Amino acid sequence: MTLLRSRPGTDGERDTAPPALPAARRAPAVWARDLAMGMRFAAGGGREGWIRTALTAAGVALGVAVLLLGASAPTLMNAWHAREKARENLGQAHPPPPGDRTLLYASANTTFHGTAIRGRLVRPDGTRPPVPPGLDHLPGPGRMVVSPALKELLDSPGAGLLRERLGAYRIAGVIGDEGLQGPRELTYLAQSTTLGERDGYRIDHFGKNWEPRPLTAPATVLVIMTCVALLTPVMVFIGTSVRFGNERRERRLAALRLVGADVRTTRRIASGEALFGSLLGLLGGGLLFLAARQLAPAITLWDINVYSADVAPGPVTALLIAVLVPAAAVLVTLVAQRGVTVEPLGVVRHRPPVRRRLWWRLALPVLSALLLVPLVLRHRQPWDDTPVNTFRLAAGSTLLLFGITALLPWLVERVVGRLRGGPVPWQLAVRRLQLNSGPATRAVSGITVAVAGAIAIHMLMTGMQTGYAAAYAKSGQVPRISFWGHTDTWRSTERALAALRATPGVTAAHGTIDLNAGRMPAPGRDLSRDLPAVLTVGSCAELRHLARLPACKDGDVFVTDARPDRDTGITPGATLNLNPPLVYGEPAGRPRPWTVPPAARAARLLPSGDGHPRYYDLLLTPAALDPARYTAPDMQLDVDFDRGTPDAVEHIRNTAARIGPTMYESSSVDNPHDRQLDGVRTALFTGAVITLLLIGAGLIISTVEQLHERRRLLSVLDAHGTRRATLGWSVLWQTALPVALGLALAVTCGLTLGTLLLTIIGTGLAVDWAGIAGITAIGAAVILFVTALSLPPLWRMMRPDGLRTE
Amino acid sequence: MTPAGSLLEARALRKAYGPTPALDGADFSIHPGEVVAVMGPSGSGKSTLLHCLAGIIRPDSGTVRYGPHTLTDLSDTHRSALRRTDFGFVFQFGQLVPELTCLENVALPLRLNGTRRKAAEHRARDWLERLEVDDVAAKRPGEISGGQGQRVAVARALAPQPRVVFADEPTGALDSLNGERVMGLLSDAARATGAAVVLVTHEPRVAAYADREVVVRDGVAREMAGAA
Repeated sequence: MTLLRSRPGTDGERDTAPPALPAARRAPAVWARDLAMGMRFAAGGGREGWIRTALTAAGVALGVAVLLLGASAPTLMNAWHAREKARENLGQAHPPPPGDRTLLYASANTTFHGTAIRGRLVRPDGTRPPVPPGLDHLPGPGRMVVSPALKELLDSPGAGLLRERLGAYRIAGVIGDEGLQGPRELTYLAQSTTLGERDGYRIDHFGKNWEPRPLTAPATVLVIMTCVALLTPVMVFIGTSVRFGNERRERRLAALRLVGADVRTTRRIASGEALFGSLLGLLGGGLLFLAARQLAPAITLWDINVYSADVAPGPVTALLIAVLVPAAAVLVTLVAQRGVTVEPLGVVRHRPPVRRRLWWRLALPVLSALLLVPLVLRHRQPWDDTPVNTFRLAAGSTLLLFGITALLPWLVERVVGRLRGGPVPWQLAVRRLQLNSGPATRAVSGITVAVAGAIAIHMLMTGMQTGYAAAYAKSGQVPRISFWGHTDTWRSTERALAALRATPGVTAAHGTIDLNAGRMPAPGRDLSRDLPAVLTVGSCAELRHLARLPACKDGDVFVTDARPDRDTGITPGATLNLNPPLVYGEPAGRPRPWTVPPAARAARLLPSGDGHPRYYDLLLTPAALDPARYTAPDMQLDVDFDRGTPDAVEHIRNTAARIGPTMYESSSVDNPHDRQLDGVRTALFTGAVITLLLIGAGLIISTVEQLHERRRLLSVLDAHGTRRATLGWSVLWQTALPVALGLALAVTCGLTLGTLLLTIIGTGLAVDWAGIAGITAIGAAVILFVTALSLPPLWRMMRPDGLRTE
Repeated sequence: MTPAGSLLEARALRKAYGPTPALDGADFSIHPGEVVAVMGPSGSGKSTLLHCLAGIIRPDSGTVRYGPHTLTDLSDTHRSALRRTDFGFVFQFGQLVPELTCLENVALPLRLNGTRRKAAEHRARDWLERLEVDDVAAKRPGEISGGQGQRVAVARALAPQPRVVFADEPTGALDSLNGERVMGLLSDAARATGAAVVLVTHEPRVAAYADREVVVRDGVAREMAGAA
């Protein structure tokens, strides 16, 4: 039987014969009508109905927005990589010959106050060179085009040294969006008239066949855990909000039963009510997503900054979200009605209290352990970033987080069940939880998952950051900045050293010319698979910084003890090939023989200042070998500086740019990981706060709803003279107990998961107790917040109005 | 009505809910150990009178005196304290705290007064025995019958040894047999302890347990002719 059958017959028929039973409507039509009626109730169901609809819509909107943002991550990364792929070509496998459509292209990256700036230099060979995306034509000689963010930086008052560094080029225009990875990217493209063949690569097009590296396992786990930690509270919030005003809804459904609606009809009507809120939420979520992605240009996470347009989920994923989230809200509504039968004269609850069992609740954590523990046990081997391992890591972490939601109700029941005695507020709270801890635990499970996830991610971040910091601290003990660049002669290297020594803040500068040498071809020898020996050319003074030399004059050669375990073939009198393959595995060019002087003497290498071993096999003075004989000699310049001199590093970089704009910098001056990880940590903390506030809102709804259902009892207690403080404390304990247990479980699981993850990826354990305390403190603040906001309705309900029966 | 020697006395009580007057100059008094039935049709103001007498609500005008205290002048805190120490309550329904056991429910007013748990529960158990429901002491209200629940509620009202018990339709949700049993136990126990009982009811059979009857009609209380 269903409600609202079509009106039988006409007036005339009514007079003559009993009305015929109406023809049964087809199921889809009946369903549609019942759902529509539920939606109408939701829209016009009074204050409680509207609150429920608004809360459901808010929860669904947040869920949809978070899911859409999460689903945008892969496409966002693809778009980010695709932009890089379209504009880049640092070397072709088969360099084209110079022509009208070719140009020389080189990297001229630099760093300014710890921020990386991507620089590219071009020198067209002809009149029709290729043009990268974002530009109509290449800038003219001595001109450069810059990204809007770089232009802004160059125009800022604190960028004088950067203006000086790039002063060789005048700004001729701004790079369009197509030529940038993100709106805040700092990049420039300049035409250099001095760019040499050996400084860069000859190319005939931009864009290359380069596939982005997939996310590493820790990054994948990070993304998945973030989504789980964010979505679980949202789902909990939806679950809480659809239960709001349940009592009145049940009364209304009973009234519908009284006028003829059957049980299934009432369920469909209830679903329709939830569906209305869900559809509103879907719309709101879409709008929220569109609004949130407008913020994308302002956010830089792990040095990734993207355009709003690039934040877009795939169509299939978006469709799935649009269907599944509202369906989930309806499902939650139906699940909430389990064990409740709406009868014409009221609601019958026939679910006997069931003792919670542990065994099945352990299934998820056990499954998680089965996935993760084998990875931990093999941690002495280096982490193998295979798809299977990544899946195991991600699935294990997710299962453990979800497992918490199953374990928490059991834990609360067991712990609360053992509590006895105490003052009246404590007793009221404990007894209430003993009678039914479901609603409180349900809301708290969101906090638990969010906090556990946040702690694990926090640990992962801290572990990685500590590792980086230790490495940087070790290598950065001596304030040093190093550069590599092409050179032809020792004299040019000496000039570079002199320029650097004259730079403000420089305390010392040392340099050599490094080159590789291979063995001469021989029958049966694959030169492409030979590991080359490393030769370094420098004055006796420079070589003495590298090794203990017996005596030295220009023209001397020294064989070192760099790699006693490897047969490099370097012995006095041996003939070496000065034209080995530049890249391991590539075919060798025409051999260029050079004989190690028979008078070469032995020398013992000194350890480097930063603790790294040196790998120079042969030390040569300039007269012993002219670097020009080598294909691509590099000068290496190590510059020590005084940290106390303002902007010493920027002055040194300016000098290096004058020596050669394509000089490559290697330094431990700025630890980029600190900035990257700090950004993630800030995002994590913000996310945790928002999540916990969301849970707080859910808890308030749940608490106020319970108070509302107990308003008559509250009036009776008030009549007995119960103090407001007594019931206020009772509400506090009732909120605090499950939250405290949830936080304890969250900290335990978060630390366990964090430890497992760090062990698996082979990073040292590091726990940021202050961070954990901070997140836990927010959880505690949520308890106080919920209690404080519950007090006004509590006191409002402690009025005698509830005693009136007439 | 003769206020001389009265324990609780109300004069010229007026109380309106919005434009509707519930009490319109009602007078009332009760002596120690006396059982007074307040009768009247639905909406006559019986419950409002009880709530004013018990200090649950403050009348718009008029005074309620309890011994040396003028209830209408006392703060909410003091009235609450008085209700905890000197008054007991029995309502029609929704009065037992569902999550507490029956024993804990009876002990609750004592504990609210600061009595230690063991002592409170000891006395509560005595009262459950007197009301013949000691067998449900460990059960929760949801697990017992309506009649047992009302007897537990009477035990709770009497356990702190109040000087006045306010009973608002205490048998309204019970069948006649259970109703009479509850009333018998309530009136006997009250007389045994010397507590006065203000009994709001619209059932003459329940009012028969009273020493005196007062009828409330149109917000005015009148002594029943011929009442003791």
